[in-house]
Amino acid sequence: MRFVVRAALVVAAAIALTAPAATAQTHMLVVVGLGGEARHDDAFHEWATSLVASAKERFNVPAANIRYLAGSPKYAAEAQGRSTREAVERALTEMAARAEPDAVIFIVLIGHGGDVGEPRLNLTGPDLTAGDLAIWLTRFGTQTIAVVNTASASGEWLQALSGERRIIITATRSSSERYETVFGRYFAQAFTADDADTDKNSRLSLLEAFEYARREVVRTYESDDKMLSEHALIDDDGDKKGSVEPSSEGDGVVAARIFLDHGPTRAFTLEGAANDPALAALVTKRDSLEREIAQLRTRRSSMETAAYEQQLERMLLELAVTTRQIRERGPR
Amino acid sequence: MRGAAVGSTLALLALGWAGLASPAALEAREPAPVIQARSGADAAQVAFLAGQYDEAISQYAAAAARNPSSAAPLRGLIAALREVGRYDDAIAAAERFNRANPDSPELWNSLGEVLRLRGRRTEAEAAFNRAITGRASDNLTARLNLALLRRDRGDLAEARRTFDSFIDVYNNGVTTGRLSSSDLAAVASAVRYLSVYNPQLAKDAVRAYQEAIAADPTNIDAQVELGQALLEGYAGSEARSTFEEILAKNERHPRALLGMAQTLHFESSPEVEEPARRSLEINPNLTPARAFLARLALEREDYEEARREAERALEIDSTSLDALAVLAGVHYLQGNTAAFEEVSRRTRALNPVATGLYVTLADLSARSRQYDDAVRFAQQGVALDSAAWRAWAHLGVNQLRLGEMAAGRRSLETAFRGDPFDVWTKNTLDLLDDLDLYPETATARFRIYAHEKESALLGPYVGELAEQAYDALARRYGYRPATPIRIEVFPNHADFSVRTVGLVGLGALGVSFGPVIAMDSPSAREMGQFHWGSTLWHELSHTFHLGMSDHRVPRWFTEGLAVHEERRSHPGWGDDIAPDFLAAYSGGRLRNLRDLNEGFVRPAYPEQIGYSYQQASLVFALIERDFGAQAILDMLALYRREGPNADVFRGVLDMDIDAFERRFEQYMRERFGRAMAALGEGGARGERAGPPAPPQPPSREEVARRARNADDFAAQLAMGHLLFAEERFDEAMPYLERAKELYPEYAGPQNPYRLLARIHQRKGAPRAAAAELRTLTRLAARHYDAHIELADVLETLGDTAGAAEALDAALYVNPFDANVHNRLAALYESLERWDGVIRERMAVLGLDPVDRAGALYRVALAHFRAGHVQDARSWVIRALEIAPAFEEAQGLLLEIAGRGPR
Repeated sequence: MRFVVRAALVVAAAIALTAPAATAQTHMLVVVGLGGEARHDDAFHEWATSLVASAKERFNVPAANIRYLAGSPKYAAEAQGRSTREAVERALTEMAARAEPDAVIFIVLIGHGGDVGEPRLNLTGPDLTAGDLAIWLTRFGTQTIAVVNTASASGEWLQALSGERRIIITATRSSSERYETVFGRYFAQAFTADDADTDKNSRLSLLEAFEYARREVVRTYESDDKMLSEHALIDDDGDKKGSVEPSSEGDGVVAARIFLDHGPTRAFTLEGAANDPALAALVTKRDSLEREIAQLRTRRSSMETAAYEQQLERMLLELAVTTRQIRERGPR
Repeated sequence: MRGAAVGSTLALLALGWAGLASPAALEAREPAPVIQARSGADAAQVAFLAGQYDEAISQYAAAAARNPSSAAPLRGLIAALREVGRYDDAIAAAERFNRANPDSPELWNSLGEVLRLRGRRTEAEAAFNRAITGRASDNLTARLNLALLRRDRGDLAEARRTFDSFIDVYNNGVTTGRLSSSDLAAVASAVRYLSVYNPQLAKDAVRAYQEAIAADPTNIDAQVELGQALLEGYAGSEARSTFEEILAKNERHPRALLGMAQTLHFESSPEVEEPARRSLEINPNLTPARAFLARLALEREDYEEARREAERALEIDSTSLDALAVLAGVHYLQGNTAAFEEVSRRTRALNPVATGLYVTLADLSARSRQYDDAVRFAQQGVALDSAAWRAWAHLGVNQLRLGEMAAGRRSLETAFRGDPFDVWTKNTLDLLDDLDLYPETATARFRIYAHEKESALLGPYVGELAEQAYDALARRYGYRPATPIRIEVFPNHADFSVRTVGLVGLGALGVSFGPVIAMDSPSAREMGQFHWGSTLWHELSHTFHLGMSDHRVPRWFTEGLAVHEERRSHPGWGDDIAPDFLAAYSGGRLRNLRDLNEGFVRPAYPEQIGYSYQQASLVFALIERDFGAQAILDMLALYRREGPNADVFRGVLDMDIDAFERRFEQYMRERFGRAMAALGEGGARGERAGPPAPPQPPSREEVARRARNADDFAAQLAMGHLLFAEERFDEAMPYLERAKELYPEYAGPQNPYRLLARIHQRKGAPRAAAAELRTLTRLAARHYDAHIELADVLETLGDTAGAAEALDAALYVNPFDANVHNRLAALYESLERWDGVIRERMAVLGLDPVDRAGALYRVALAHFRAGHVQDARSWVIRALEIAPAFEEAQGLLLEIAGRGPR
């Protein structure tokens, strides 16, 4: 796990140029399929509303950018209608028309999946298939798209949707993992949990949310003494091959830089300090130190332990002092 | 490398055996031979094959009388007489024939075989030689028998040369097609003995037996040998099928019955004795069956019975190495050194390389928990014969039990090279591969090995409790076992089982070999079913008992005393006294104290073993009450001096065991009389007792009717549950209170305490609720949820220390809930118990949290508040290494830096 986090940090510097710009907006579509039983309807609705609430309240995604299509009629009013195939297509069409060129399109599918003929999510009326979504997503020519399919048997969606500027997350690694999944519960929970932000930079990346959910799924199965029957995958390098565990060079690199919130929320950024040259210098120094620490960590295995620790401590102290100076100087 | 090579070999062999021994493969010989009784000899054979031995004897004798110069009926007669144990009659018949037909070599081999069964080795050897030199039709079998005689007297090189020659015999015979069924069986046996040196030959032996059987489906001897070969190759189910097939045709075949008993023993079946005893009903002189029963008696620590059986076997065959080995074991385990030496000397005189003696002694020593001796005997075995693979296996396993891990592995690898089909060895070596990856947690006197996923969490808790237990037990016993003691904690019960017995399926939770303790991790069991703290205390108690008695304490004693120690250690530890135990006691379904050990080693019914633990533990409660703790120490000392058969009741308590039993009965009546009476008629009669499960009571009316009897515990409890479910709490209370009065020690799943606590909570009486929950957890500390509920209640009452104590107690049942650790850390923080805070923050870290940086920071903070500035510095840097932008951690680092440099 430490390795994964380190990877995210290292990558943060490396891919800064390819990540969405700080002004990018987030547009979110949550689709809940048929539950089949009241307990599923209730659980799916709870996960969906939790995600929507987090997006709005914690991550400041504008309400106008969020669509929630409910699976059960009893929740249709609370949502923006029911999740028919047509409704999903309509929502995406509208979103494509509204989304800024550098926007992040965040699509979450919740429900029961299957693969009769092709991978699908069970909806009222015709099901939503991976093929449908693949076609509709072509309408987003420049945006970064994240699709999170939390349904059972969702693994094959990854291959259908993988591509450039795409982050595809599935709750299972294949269509043969058919049992009901709990990934969705923990994925939604990641956006409310205090401990999902593992690098403590006050932002929750898609990679962190994936990691949080993946690990909580494993923990749940272990504590229930059950055999793990869902293995979540992430693919963000467009190679159509998902990874269970992200790495510093493959899947996870892009997801580490994708956030629900539009733009940085760290209290002090270079942009925010434009009118205060001294503050800007501190922020530059802080950002530089963070990069240096990340680089130092990549050299760890080739260094003497004592030298590494000494250097690390010195840099961390300098970073801590710099952060304090920024705090003291700038407005909150 | 080993795994791959062996895996494929095993797979091939398994396939080979399965194919050879399966009913389909045996189809060729499956149809029972329909032999028309055209002559007396034929009728005799029909009777013989059907197990009608008296009839067969009579028919064969008549046929022989009709044709006194023909060997065939005499051979049949000798076989029939031999099968029922009339060896001397068989010898006489053969000798009569040989005298009357001095030029015929045909019966010399048969005579030799029977002489060998009577232990007349020299005469047998001469007889086999006569058969060979006379070119008898069964001279090949005579050659095999001669080689076996040589092997049995330790002339291994010569025996091996002869066995080797059978391969040529087979190859030539196949070419010429001149090998009879008996010849093929002889080849099979020779190849089977050669497989000691080349394990792959075991498969060829099986195939050759198969060919022998195909050549003559009535060759039952070949079938019996096939079964034995399969059993030697650890193919238990195939062996069982083979013996079952023989018995389907002749349920009275003594050697097939014995083979079945041996197979059942291999399978650890409790019904092992019955077929062996039946074999003796048919052939009371079947020496291997006597030796086998003697061995079983020894395994259940019934030394007298073992000695009797072994001596009876030796009366029949004074050269029986198996019987001598058991007899040596009896004397060794009873501490009779002179007799032991005498039997050992006698064995060596018969066979100077009798490794079987040492294998048996090693096995028996280990079964009697004398692992040092097991190692010593196994070493003697391998010193005599480096190809004694079982001795190597025993050596390795027992070295591991003593914590000699590297040496143990080497020995097992040697065993495995020689016998790659030994599942015990393979399982153990596979386990060792995993165990190598278990990180070590070291404390002053313990080395703890838990799986890497659990080590960081469990290591500190196990270490802390083990240290506490060591101190407490050392004070109590005035004895300090050698340290470090090794503790292995397995998250997979099958791994624990393999560590203990080499196979999966062991029902126990933990085991102590003295210097090594192995146990299930709490993650290996369903949560709430396993109090790992209590188990650890139990096993460490054994380590003390074994050390103090020089490993000579009988099982009932150390098990009962260990449970007693659990109960003494903490309130609620050790199993509570359950209704079914009381019912079994009052119903007379427990063992008498005189044979209480049988309840452990040979329970009469599955539950009896658990009851025996309870019963034995109560024996110690009584001894300590009436005679003091010193009596227990004196008993252990007496075992050390006199061995496991020491009469500790007479020697220490100055009363015989029957008198003590009467006192025990009185104690049980005093302590549980009311509860037993309240359990009702079922309890009194020993039927299943205890409360009916409240969710499914017989009917409400029935329960209500029975509950009018205020002395009916089950009805009071059931009525309380019913009314609680109906939310008629005020009405439920008196029933629940009455159930408590009647059987205050009942802490089972339907206990009244939990409901009463909930009622008190609803009524706004948290103190009363806390009292109920505290009572419950002090009766049975395994109630995880009750600990948590108690902590909740106490926290609302502002009893922070009490709440912390309750949560701490819960961790001995389930240490895997991060919320409980975080909560306990917070409670310790408010109590300023920084060591506790650090422990709990470390536990969260051990649970591998998603928020690792946060967990590291909290460890750092705990150290900082405890005044451990340098530790705090180290931990906070680890947090920031992961999350450099973590501002709270940065603040702590600056604060630490403000205290000055390192």
